This record gives sequence, structure tokens and C-alpha cells, in this order.
Amino acid sequence: MYDVIVIGSGPAGYVAAIRASQLGLKTACVEKSFHNDSPQLGGTCLNIGCIPSKALLDSSHRYADALHQFSDHGIKVQNPTIDIPKMMDRKNKIVAQLTGGISSLFKANNVTQILGTATIMGANTVEVTYEGKTETLETLNIVIASGSSPIDIPVAKVNHKNIVDSTGALEFQAVPKTLGIIGAGIIGLELGSVWARLGSKVTILEALDDFLPMADSKISKEVLKEFNKQGLNINLGCKVNAAKSNKKNVTVNYENNGSEFELNFEKLIVAVGRKPNTENLFSKSSGLSVDERGFIPVNNFCETKVKNIWAIGDVVRGPMLAHKASEEGIMVVERIAGNQVEMEYAHVPSVIYTHPEVAWVGQNEKDLSDAGLEFKTGSFPFAASGRALATGESTGFVKVIADKKTDTILGVHAFGPSAADIVQQGVVAMEFKASAEDLGLTIFSHPTVSEALHEAAMAVNEKAIHIGNIKK
Amino acid sequence: MSTEIKSPTFPESVADGTIANWVKKEGDQVKQDEVIAEIETDKVVLEVVAPFDGKISKVLKPAGETVLSAELIAEFEKGSISEELEATKVEPLEETEEIEEVAVTEEAKEEVEIENQNEHSSDRNGPAVKKLLKEHDLNPNDIASSGKGGRVTKADVINHLDQPSKEIVQQEIEQHSANQAQANSSERIEERVPMSRLRSTIANRLLTVKQETAMLTTFNEVDLKRIKDLRAKYGKNFEEEHGVKLGFMGFFVLASVQALKKFPLVNASIDGTDIVYHGYQDVGVAVSTERGLVVPVIRDAGNLKITDVERSILDYSDKARSGKLSISEMQGGTFTISNGGVFGSLLSTPILNAPQTAILGMHSIQDRPVAIDGEIVIRPMMYLALSYDHRLLDGKDAVSFLIAIKDQLESPEKLLLNL
Repeated sequence: MYDVIVIGSGPAGYVAAIRASQLGLKTACVEKSFHNDSPQLGGTCLNIGCIPSKALLDSSHRYADALHQFSDHGIKVQNPTIDIPKMMDRKNKIVAQLTGGISSLFKANNVTQILGTATIMGANTVEVTYEGKTETLETLNIVIASGSSPIDIPVAKVNHKNIVDSTGALEFQAVPKTLGIIGAGIIGLELGSVWARLGSKVTILEALDDFLPMADSKISKEVLKEFNKQGLNINLGCKVNAAKSNKKNVTVNYENNGSEFELNFEKLIVAVGRKPNTENLFSKSSGLSVDERGFIPVNNFCETKVKNIWAIGDVVRGPMLAHKASEEGIMVVERIAGNQVEMEYAHVPSVIYTHPEVAWVGQNEKDLSDAGLEFKTGSFPFAASGRALATGESTGFVKVIADKKTDTILGVHAFGPSAADIVQQGVVAMEFKASAEDLGLTIFSHPTVSEALHEAAMAVNEKAIHIGNIKK
Repeated sequence: MSTEIKSPTFPESVADGTIANWVKKEGDQVKQDEVIAEIETDKVVLEVVAPFDGKISKVLKPAGETVLSAELIAEFEKGSISEELEATKVEPLEETEEIEEVAVTEEAKEEVEIENQNEHSSDRNGPAVKKLLKEHDLNPNDIASSGKGGRVTKADVINHLDQPSKEIVQQEIEQHSANQAQANSSERIEERVPMSRLRSTIANRLLTVKQETAMLTTFNEVDLKRIKDLRAKYGKNFEEEHGVKLGFMGFFVLASVQALKKFPLVNASIDGTDIVYHGYQDVGVAVSTERGLVVPVIRDAGNLKITDVERSILDYSDKARSGKLSISEMQGGTFTISNGGVFGSLLSTPILNAPQTAILGMHSIQDRPVAIDGEIVIRPMMYLALSYDHRLLDGKDAVSFLIAIKDQLESPEKLLLNL
């Protein structure tokens, strides 16, 4: 009899399992992916998501620097070339190191690893099947952390050869001369950046008319301009009607503004979103159900409608982000252990790891206007940041939005160098309900790009030092 | 584990009080230092705070009842709101213990504040909050906190600063609309409500003064052109330099102080058959609040500069409006200035603030034609009234005193030269 069985070992599941064990709960973590007869831990994030994509983003960024930036610094490199198999090898080693790390953490924390596919039979029963053998486990609590998979669309069926999903796009063994991407979301932009830097002629087709509608509109506008300059060739309002795999290429037919277009690509990446992994996850008798999109309905504490069954991460509402999933994992097992931990969903940050990075937390101007709330804003461009200029990374800006009356920070939005780390400072501030003045009265090291946040916070109350203040 | 909650020990001058309001109800869980009841005395509203985390088990004196100093008003159960908090308490309390002073006068409270600030605010709250607390002289323990781990946020402070006036306005609106509703339903309605403590004190005092003194009023008028010019010319500089507006009141206080020094009898008071001369000038400034008129006292006004006077007036009116004036701040006073002008009064006869001997009434400033050096000119004029106790002051003294004030206001350089 376990206290907690966690289904899935991604950033939601493994974090939940480790914390549960730390809290003295007898914990097992079930994982269906395997490698050499042992569970392949880490989920999408470590194996085919956040980590490998960051490895490739970094490699390709260095290559692009060697090609385009080094000469500005006076560094001469004769015809730099990229060895793709070597780059992939580096990425695979990092993945292996991190996934192996989780296995060690499980051992250190006494989490039992169980290999197989889990099915929830009831509030206290989980069946685990591996190679035809089924084992029945009893537990007091079940935490579902089964994750998500790329959405397949009928008009562009993934064939794992020249039409691939995000997983396949991390495995190309050569740089495609031409690369089509369906979807200008976070995944499409990051993968597009990788291959564009390595030499692909990239075309992104996005069905929506708005680019990055979840980001602050001024940031979206700037980002679109910058990425087109970088050669991502983002086309909005393009509805793909068909993608046909030929011997040597893929033919894509799409509609834009009522006209039909046809383009040929060596490879096509389908990055239109992800769907929760809830198929065959539970029996009818368990009492669980999913909504029309396949998500498991939960409340703010990630409780499902069945007592003692919890669901976290990509299988429940909210953004499909590793850090959101991990925090849910911690909240759930802390609550199982009787601790009153809660999560502030309004403070989940979002990041696009392009170059420059795009990141934000909290509400943007449109959210606030729509809600009829009064706010004030302060912005600071990296072009006025000494450190950003010294680094040669002066694109973009930081924007702080605060409540008009109380000065409480409501959102931090950044596009530029280390935007993710800058916004993270805003997350900490917001978690403590800081005001823009609080950030303004906090010491920031000089010279850092973080100073842009300091200045933007001061600009909220027209007190920025290194830029003229706009009188409101 | 039950504890007795008593009303605060009132100062000597306060005979009794009325339970104005139970902020927390019987059965409510409360945290240590949370305000559970408010007691209105004839001078200030005193707060009764919870001695520790726990529950109000029984209210013994419902709202509206009169209570004496340190009288039992409720029973309190120490307890269960947070076991952890209790466990960390250094001094465990005995089974039944009388808490002598659950609430404290403002003075004593300040001492506590200093201790608490070391414990709470300075270490726990963010920089903007620390700044605001200092600027507004607030105790973080008085502010409902919404931050992580009970921290006070800037929004909490701003909302706290907004609150008192809001509550009162709301009460008034409710009261008013209730009256209206009644008035509409029937024509000739009468409503009988008990006087608030403050109102009945004011009523008794005024009547006593009328009956026990030989009060008389003398009038004069003052041309405020020079002061207006001064304010127009230096008002902005003054505010930038000192962070407080240059008003009229500062000039009136200083002019009064100079005149009081010249006429020490006006600054004196009668005690039985003795005359008590005060070697200091403590000037009361009447401030109108939603609850009624209160008179905080500017101490040792004779030693103050105009900036100090303006600052303390601002400070007092903020405190008065938020009901935070302490008894000590309103006690004593050797002379009073009342400004009916803020409401538009052109002329009035103020009533003495016993046992003081005189009170100066300021009124509204009007542009009026006056004859100066044989010419008719338009000047910003104000009528001045000085009510005085004829038992002590002869008409000559009173009139000369008022002229001395008028002189200084019309030639403000005299204030500088102590003329």
C-alpha cells in the first residue's frame, strides 16, 4: 500500500514524487517510456521539449554569432561550419545526463520507480501493464501527471520523415534547405529560430491574424518585426488546406485573404499545439472523466471530482508549462501531507526562448482595459541600458504595469536580453504583492540588464533616471 | 482557558465611555492585537484589542452601553486560531488571567509601536511600505495585511489611509437615506436618537461656559493683502523647501502668540479665586471632523517657527479626520483659535474653551471696498472676533489685544521683528 502513486515522471510528476517522499509519504512514480528496460524519466520537458530545444537554441545561437556577430567584435573566423550530428550528440548527452539525474534523485529520496502504463481503476487502485504483464497497486492517493503530446492535424499528417512534429524537429540530421512551420506559437518560433540560424530558409504559417495574442500587444508587434528581420518569415492569417509528402519535398497549400498559395519545403514542422494525454488513463469505474478537449477537470487545488485523485500539469487547465506543472506537483503533495499550500495562478510566467527572449507575467494592457481596471505603465528600452549596449544586445524593452491607485505590480513584460530572468524578478515581486515603488526602492547591480526592470518600475511613477519620463 | 476583557483604564479627566461598536462579534475568531471593540469617550475613541489569538466567547456590554474605566466588557477564550503561533509564544499565560490594560491610550501605544516596529515592519515589509508607514506615522499592526506571511503591502497601506473617511461617509449616506426614506413615507415624522458622547460633552461644556463666565465679544477687521501677497510670492518656494503649504493659520497662530506675550492676562486662567498665569503659549486650533469639533493643541507655540506651526496643523487635521487624535493632544491649551471662515461665516461670536480666558474667531476673507489714505480701494478683508471672560479681562485689554493681532497680520514683518 502506497501513500501516493504519481502517474508520469515529467516536471509535474517527478517533482511531486520527490516532494511527497520528502514529506514522509510512501511514494511510487509510474512511467511508460523506457530505455533498456528501465523507465525513461523526465517526460516531454527533459526528453523532447524544454531541455533539448534549449541545447539546440544555444548551439545555433553560437553558430549565428560566429557568422554574424564576431566580426563586430573584431574576431575573425574563416568560414565557420556546423557539424549537425555533433550538435545533436551534445544535445543527447545533456538529455541523458538530466534524465539519469532524476533516477538518482528518486533513489536518494526513496521514490519507487515503476515501469509500465498505468490505468486508474478506482480511487485507491492503479493497474500497471508492461510487456503484457499487469500488476495491481493499492494507494491512498493518486496524482495524475500524464502530460501532453503534439496535436496532429488531418491536413498535415506527421509521417516522421519530412512532415514532423516538435519531437522530430529536434532530430534532423542535416539542415533542411527550406523549412515550413505550421504554427507561430512558442514551439514554432523556437524551432524556427534554431533552423533559420543554421541556414534553413524558414516560412511560418499561422492561422490566426494576431501574432502572439497572449503577450502584451506592443511586445508582440516588436517581436514580429525582429523575427521577420531574423528570417523567420512569419505569415499570419494562413489556413493550411493540405500538406502532401513527395519523394523529395512537401507541398503545402494554404489560403490567405481568400487567395490560394502553394509552397514546397524540404521539411515541414507541425507545431499547432499540444493535447492532454488522457486516453486509456482510467477505467469507467474510477469515476473520473475528461472535458470535450480531453482535459481532466480540477479545482484550484488540482483536486478532481474523485476524492484522493489529483491531476496536475499538462492534463489540466492552464498553460502547458513545466514550471506551472512542477508547482502544482508540490502544492498537491503538500496538501496530501496536510499542509495548506496554495498556488497563485496569476503569477505563472511565460517565456519564449528565442533570441532575444520574450517573457511576461501577470496581466497585459489589453487584459486590464478589458476588465475595466485603471493602471499605469512604465517602460525602459534596452537601447538605454549600458550593459545591453556593451553586450551588443540592445533590442527590446521592459514594461511594468501597476494599479493606478495602489501601485501594486500587475504585470511585467520583457523582450530583450535575459528577458526570462528579468521577468522572474517581477514574479518574486508580485508574489509578495510588491508595488512598482518597492522595485524602484530596491538595489539593482550595475551594470546589468536587470536594471531595465528597475528603471521601468521607476518609470511607472515618472521617476526613471536614465530616460525621459512621459508625463501621464 | 477564559480571560476577562476590560475596558481601557481611562485618563482621570474621562469619567466613563460608551461602547461605540463591537468590531468583532461574539464567537468571532480574532488574532492578537486585532481591534475587537471601540469605546467612545467624550474626548476620543479608544480601541480595545485582543490580548492574544483566540475567540470572543461572550460580550457582556453590548454596543451603546456605558462603561467605566477598566470595567469588564467581554469574556475571551484564548486559543485555537493557530496552534503554531501559540507554541512559539515565549510567556505562556495562566489559566485565567486578568488583562488590565487590553487597550491603551495613544501615548502608551506609541511605546508599544516602537517595540513592534522592530519586530515586524522594518524586517518584514517592503521598502515602499516602510516609507509610507514613516511618512504617515502608522503602526503596521493597525493595518489589515494581505501579503505573504502577513506582510503589509503598499496597497494595504493606501487602502488603510483611505478607509476611515470612507466608512464615515458610508455611514452618513446610509443614515441620510434612511431618514429620507422615512421622510417620504409620512410627512410629519420625528426621530429621537441619543446624542453621541462627543456631542453631549460639547453641549454640556458650552452651556457651563455660558453660565459660569462673563463672556463678551469684541470685533475688529483685518486687511490681509500683505499676507496674501506674501503667500502668492513665496508660497511655492515655501512648499518646496518645507514640504508643507503656507496657509493663513500659521500667521494667525504666530500673531496670537506675540499678542499673548504682550498681554499675559489673556493667556491666564481663573482657578477659584486665583489667577493662574501660564509662562507658555499652548494654542488650540479648532478642527471640524465628521464626529464633531475637536481642538488639538499646538504646544509651546511661542517657540515655534511658522513651518512648525503649519506642519503640526496639517498633522493634527489629518489625525482628527481619521479619528486618531489622542486625549493628550487635546488636553490643556491656554488660548484657542476657531476658524468659522472655512465654512463661509462672515461674523460670529465664538464661545470660550474653559478655563481659557479668550478665543479668537477667524472668518471668511472677502474683497471689500475700504478707505485707505482717503482712497477707496478693494482689499481682502476678514472680520475678527475675540470672545473673552470679562471677569478677568477689561474691555481695554481685550480690544488692545485684538488690535495687536490685527497690527501684526497687516504688517507681517512685525512677526519677524517680535514687535
